[in-house]
Amino acid sequence: MSLQKQQILNKEIESFNFQSGGEASSDLKNILRKLGVPSQIVRKTAIITYELEMNVVIHSLGGEITASISEDELEISVDDSGPGIEDLDKAFTAGYSTASEEIREMGFGAGMGLVNVKRYADQIEVESSKENGTHVKVIIKLAD
Amino acid sequence: MTKKHSVLLKKEKCEGCTNCVKGCPTKAIRVHQGKAWIKEDLCIDCAECIRACEYHAKYTKTSQMEKIMKSDYPVLLIPPSFYSQFSANISAQKIKMAIQNLGFKAVYDVADAAAALSRRTIDFLNNNSGSYISTSCPVIVRLIKLQFPDLIEMLIPLKSPVELIAERIERKYKEEKNIAPEIFFLTPCPAKLTTVKRAIGQESSFLSGAIGVENIYQNIYESLSDINLDQKEEEMINLATIWGSEGGEESILKSWQDINTLSVSGIKEVKKLLNEIERNNIPEAIRYFELTSCVDGCIGGVLNVINPFQAQFNLEKRIKNIRKTIKKENLKLNKKGNEAYNFVLPEKIKADNVSKLDKDFKKAMEKLEQLQKEIEDLPGLDCAACGAPDCKTFAEDIVNGLANKSDCIFMLRNRISELAGDLCNLSNELPPVMDNDKEEKYEC
Repeated sequence: MSLQKQQILNKEIESFNFQSGGEASSDLKNILRKLGVPSQIVRKTAIITYELEMNVVIHSLGGEITASISEDELEISVDDSGPGIEDLDKAFTAGYSTASEEIREMGFGAGMGLVNVKRYADQIEVESSKENGTHVKVIIKLAD
Repeated sequence: MTKKHSVLLKKEKCEGCTNCVKGCPTKAIRVHQGKAWIKEDLCIDCAECIRACEYHAKYTKTSQMEKIMKSDYPVLLIPPSFYSQFSANISAQKIKMAIQNLGFKAVYDVADAAAALSRRTIDFLNNNSGSYISTSCPVIVRLIKLQFPDLIEMLIPLKSPVELIAERIERKYKEEKNIAPEIFFLTPCPAKLTTVKRAIGQESSFLSGAIGVENIYQNIYESLSDINLDQKEEEMINLATIWGSEGGEESILKSWQDINTLSVSGIKEVKKLLNEIERNNIPEAIRYFELTSCVDGCIGGVLNVINPFQAQFNLEKRIKNIRKTIKKENLKLNKKGNEAYNFVLPEKIKADNVSKLDKDFKKAMEKLEQLQKEIEDLPGLDCAACGAPDCKTFAEDIVNGLANKSDCIFMLRNRISELAGDLCNLSNELPPVMDNDKEEKYEC
């Protein structure tokens, strides 16, 4: 049973705005440090949040990221407004990417986004449809 | 006055402007009661405040020559960057003689240890997977301890060239002459001075003290004119003298083995890089990061005398001369000398956990909520008139009980305008004996 969570971050993410992409990750990192969360967990969170954030920037029409915390776990939710992930199984395959040539030239789209998120997260849920966009929920355990 | 650090404030010169406050990369400075105040636990001795202060109120207290000369057996260590302070026409040999003539028993080049360390670094990288960060710049190590504790594991656990050579000299004198020399370092920056007081990854430093380049430069220059070398002067110093400027460490590493490295100088840029490393946004193929707090590397140190552009030019010319006189084989000689050093840091580098709002999670959460509310209330102009560098830091100071909301000039103005409104309304309240219709009312 997890304890009641409190929201600590809520941020809009704009599609294709590479300038502010990464801000949510930095903000969350600073907040966790202020809360005294162990540094290795802060690192994991920074990596996960950055991947999820950039997914929204690169692949979606824009979205929102929220983070909530209790003493024993951190929950990160990312919701975007489409166009959804066509093949979820493939999205979890290392090296698979639907990113355009331009994006790849920028150094993104290596096909490791969700793979990395899964690697560092303790739990991950992904729902995606063309109509409702993609919703990712990640749980990071702070205590056993 | 701070004791742990080497950057100090001349109170009488401080005008209470907030240039240093705004420029501090760790937000360690506040202006209170018209004077700058450095928060000791946040200061990493990067000297950005010395650069920012137009009133020269910040300074570094290094050892003075008079005091050093009272020592029984003073020895001086010369960093690679020091050679950038002279035209390449003046040979290193001549410079060293001039220094020794000031009263030192011996002078040594830190570059020798740098070359050996470089060789050891290659061995380390070949035997360990992952990417590593140089520990040679003490400011970078402190920055990571303070703001990037999760990257501590990336710091290569090897001593800095200065400590390596100091340790070697101490041992050598003890074994060969049974002398305990007092070893001083000719420092281009306050940070190296701080490592004398608070060593990194080892219990104590092998140095007795450090003297700033600016404190000895004049003496050396004067001493130089007394030296006449008959033979043709050849540049007989280690090629690792190139470590004095950005990319030097990298280039020596690459002279041993083809390896992916990256060098970044300037603390603001280094912070950006560390942020990217933290979120895995830097290629894993980069095995080694040469990071220095000063722009252009150690030649950009704040205690140097020559401007960094001229210094860069001087050093490049000298490196050219070195390459002319000594061939690559000379560098390889150091490979054999490697057993003379104890490279590995005896202690683990530990994080400085100072960013926590509270030890207790629940209390920290309450403070965080309060903090976010304060941030919303504040104007977000980051004007620094409150003495803190920006509104967010000011909000944190309020939450931690270090500042009052009314220290914000805009919050104060709001409060005054509220009060003025109340006063005006009050002045329209007439005593019952007076005629309400005849008395003129104030518009509030």
